[in-house]
Formats: sequence, C-alpha cells, structure tokens
Amino acid sequence: MYRQGDVLIAPLAESAVPGGALDAASEPRDGRGRLVLALGEVTGHAHAVVGPGRLIREASVFGPMLLHVPEGARVVHEEHAAISLPKGWYRVIRQREYVPGSVRIVAD
Amino acid sequence: MQEQASWRTVAAATGPGDRARTEAGVRLAYRRAGLREPERIVWARSPLEAVRLLSGAAVNRDGAADSGPDGGGPDGGGPDDGGPDGGRWADPGAYGEALSATGASVRDAVRNRPVAAARAALHTRLGPTGWGDHWRATGADLWETTRPLIDRVRTGVVEALAPADRKEETGLRLLLLDAVLGQHDAAWLAALDAAPGLDGLAEVARTAGWWWPYENVAVVAERPVELHRDEAGRLDRGDGPALAHTDGFALHAWRGLPVPGEFLDRLGTLTPELIRAEENAELRRVMLEFYGYDRYLEESGAQPVHRDETGVLWRIALPGDEDVVMVEVVNSTPEPDGTSRTYWLRVPPTTTTARQGVAWTFGLGAEAYEPLRQT
Repeated sequence: MYRQGDVLIAPLAESAVPGGALDAASEPRDGRGRLVLALGEVTGHAHAVVGPGRLIREASVFGPMLLHVPEGARVVHEEHAAISLPKGWYRVIRQREYVPGSVRIVAD
Repeated sequence: MQEQASWRTVAAATGPGDRARTEAGVRLAYRRAGLREPERIVWARSPLEAVRLLSGAAVNRDGAADSGPDGGGPDGGGPDDGGPDGGRWADPGAYGEALSATGASVRDAVRNRPVAAARAALHTRLGPTGWGDHWRATGADLWETTRPLIDRVRTGVVEALAPADRKEETGLRLLLLDAVLGQHDAAWLAALDAAPGLDGLAEVARTAGWWWPYENVAVVAERPVELHRDEAGRLDRGDGPALAHTDGFALHAWRGLPVPGEFLDRLGTLTPELIRAEENAELRRVMLEFYGYDRYLEESGAQPVHRDETGVLWRIALPGDEDVVMVEVVNSTPEPDGTSRTYWLRVPPTTTTARQGVAWTFGLGAEAYEPLRQT
C-alpha cells in the first residue's frame, strides 16, 4: 500500500480484480503520456503514473480506479516525492473528508 | 488530450473576450442552424443583467407592464431608464440596450439540435460503450466541476432578482434555461470537438459567457472578472466573492459551500467564542476552517484523544451539535524549507483512534490501512 498526498494506491490480488476490468477501456494518457490518477483543478498538478500500464475507471469520476502496471511504474507529483510501484494490480483511492450529512473529497 | 486542457481553460476563463469574434461566432451559429442572423447582438455584463434585460422584454411582449421583475417598476422602456430601484443593477452604462420584440427563443435550433446531432453521430460511430469511454476521456471530468457552477449561477440570478412569487420565479428560471452556456458548454464541446456545425457555438464559448439566442436579438453576457476555485474545482474564496461580474453580480463561497457575502467580512475577527455561538452548523464549519483547526484546538484548550504512528486524533465538543473529530496528519514530503506541513481532516464522530480516522479518509478499516511508503 502506497500513499502520495491525498491518493492511496492499494495492491489488489489478481484474483480480486473485478471481472469486467480486463475488457474495460483504459483511461487515455495526458499530453505528456502519463496516466493521471488525480488532477488538481487549479494548479494543474497531477498524481500521475509514468511507464507502461492501464488505468481503468470504476464507478464515479472521483474514483476509485484500477491500475495495472505489468512492469512496475513510478508515481510522480509536482510537490511529492516519487513512488516506485512493483508490477501488479492496484486500486487507487482518493482521500475524503467527513462533512456532517455528506462526504467530500480532499483537495491537497 | 492537449485539446481537453484547452477546453478546461475555456471553462475557467475570466475577463472580457474578443467581441468581434464572439459576434461572428453568434452569427455563424445562427447560419449553421439554418436561421437568418439576429438583427442585433446586445451585450450584458453578467447573466443577471442579461436576464433582467430579457425579463423586461418579456414584460413588453406580454403587455403586463405592472408586474415587472423589479416589483413596483414597470421597466417598460428597458433598463436604460434606470428603474425604480435606482441602485445596484440600475446602471447598464454601455451595456444592455432596451430590448423589445426579441422574437421567440431559437436555442433549440442553435444549440440543442446541432449538439444532439453531433452526439448521435458519435454515438452511432462508437457504440454505447465507446461513447461512454469517449465521454469519460473528454468531457466528464470537466462537466463534474462545471455543472455545480452553472447551478450556482442560476440560483444566484434568481436570488438577486428576488422574485415576488412562485410564478415570477418560474418565469426567471425558464429564461435561464433559454441560455446557451457559452464557456460553460466547454465539457460538451470537448467531447464533440471535431463535429461539423458546432464551430459557431465553439467560437462563442472561447470568448464569452452565457448567451441567449432569439429570432431577432441575441443577448450575450460577458465572462466573470473574478473566479476563484479550490483544487477540487469548487468555488472558494475567504476574502471576497468567488465569482464576480463587473455589474456587481457575485457569488460567495467557501470550499464550494455558498455563504452570504457579509459573512466573509466577519471571518477576519473570529474568536473561539464567536464560533461556538454561531447557530448555523454549516457556517460554523466555515468559520472553523477559516480560523484554522490548529489555532482553534490550541485556543479552546482541546486535548488530543489518541495518538499513534499515523497521526493524532482530536475531539472538540460543540454544544447542541455533533462533536468535531479530526485527525492531524503530517505531510510526509517536506516543504522546500525543510518543514513538514501538518493538516487536519475531519472524520466521523464515532472515530476513536488516529489510525481509524486516517483509514476512514481512504474508505478503509483501521486494520486494512498499512502504507508501506508515503510521500
């Protein structure tokens, strides 16, 4: 399990990968060829994966998402140290905050 | 994807655009819809001013001059005559000519039909799944942050015009639905980018805000001059309006939560006592966030409830409200000056340990949260 700021990247056993994920379309890469896990709306800073792999969006726009990096990868961000990920499947979870009556995501 | 970034910029653009380009775009959109160009293009400084102009025009059309949107004011000659309120919205200056005989709305022909056709064509070409994937890759994220802003503007316009009754409010809301969303159509334009026939709409979106196409007249609102959002794209500003137009139309918000403008003025003089005395829970939350949880915890003598390697758990009792329970977390990557930033996240009041709180922020149970590496 890895954490970069407000994004948690939790390993997922191959057997636990949802059935539809293998056939699901991958998220497109950004203009710099990266897989963007979370984008800061104002600064444009991104938690992003560099290297081969696929990012599959599950339910909502704010995640969670599935990440598959068959050769391992690096997670980079403009303000956080990079993290090396061993090869495998991951679930990408965005941090949230409790608000009485609702829940909102964290903007770091 | 570069194109997506530029539509994102369009959606958040502020300040006056190029009017000649906008007007050319409006005329092109009419031609693409098979309509004759509007006789006149009228500028408004905000969606509010546009709606005021148009509701005045609606009064003219109906001949119901005694029930204008300004209450006692007939506004019969249009807003140029000042209107009885004589105040905030009464000086259109170079903007907002008198409107009459606008003709019927042509929004359907100018915007809805071409967009629906472009979407249907793409849907047919890509299939339902392919269209879903395409939308997620292009407009979905942007729409997620733009849609709440659109709703806020609509609500803000209705509130600013203070409709006297339900019928008047419905009329205003219907007028707002006549608008083509200009820059706020960016998400759809990003998805349908290459479609033929949308070039006029796209040109207006790049240079202006909302606009109202009618048979004889198009009313175009300028973009805001102030737009402040947080990293999640929510309206957010603590020392002034988060969105403002030059005619004074403004929206105040703190991390997306609508707040009264005068409320922000009070934020500079907060004390723990004033925060505790605030009866509105949402406003009290804004006060707490603005004041700073750390400062509040310190000055109100709060004690940490639990401490472990993930952080520190704090609890603040608020009379007549659920407790505020927060985890204090230290950012693992040091700032450029070598210090580590501490931040607080509110967690459910049932939380009893710091680990449980941090784990909750990621939707996990305490036992499942075990980061190997954090930055």
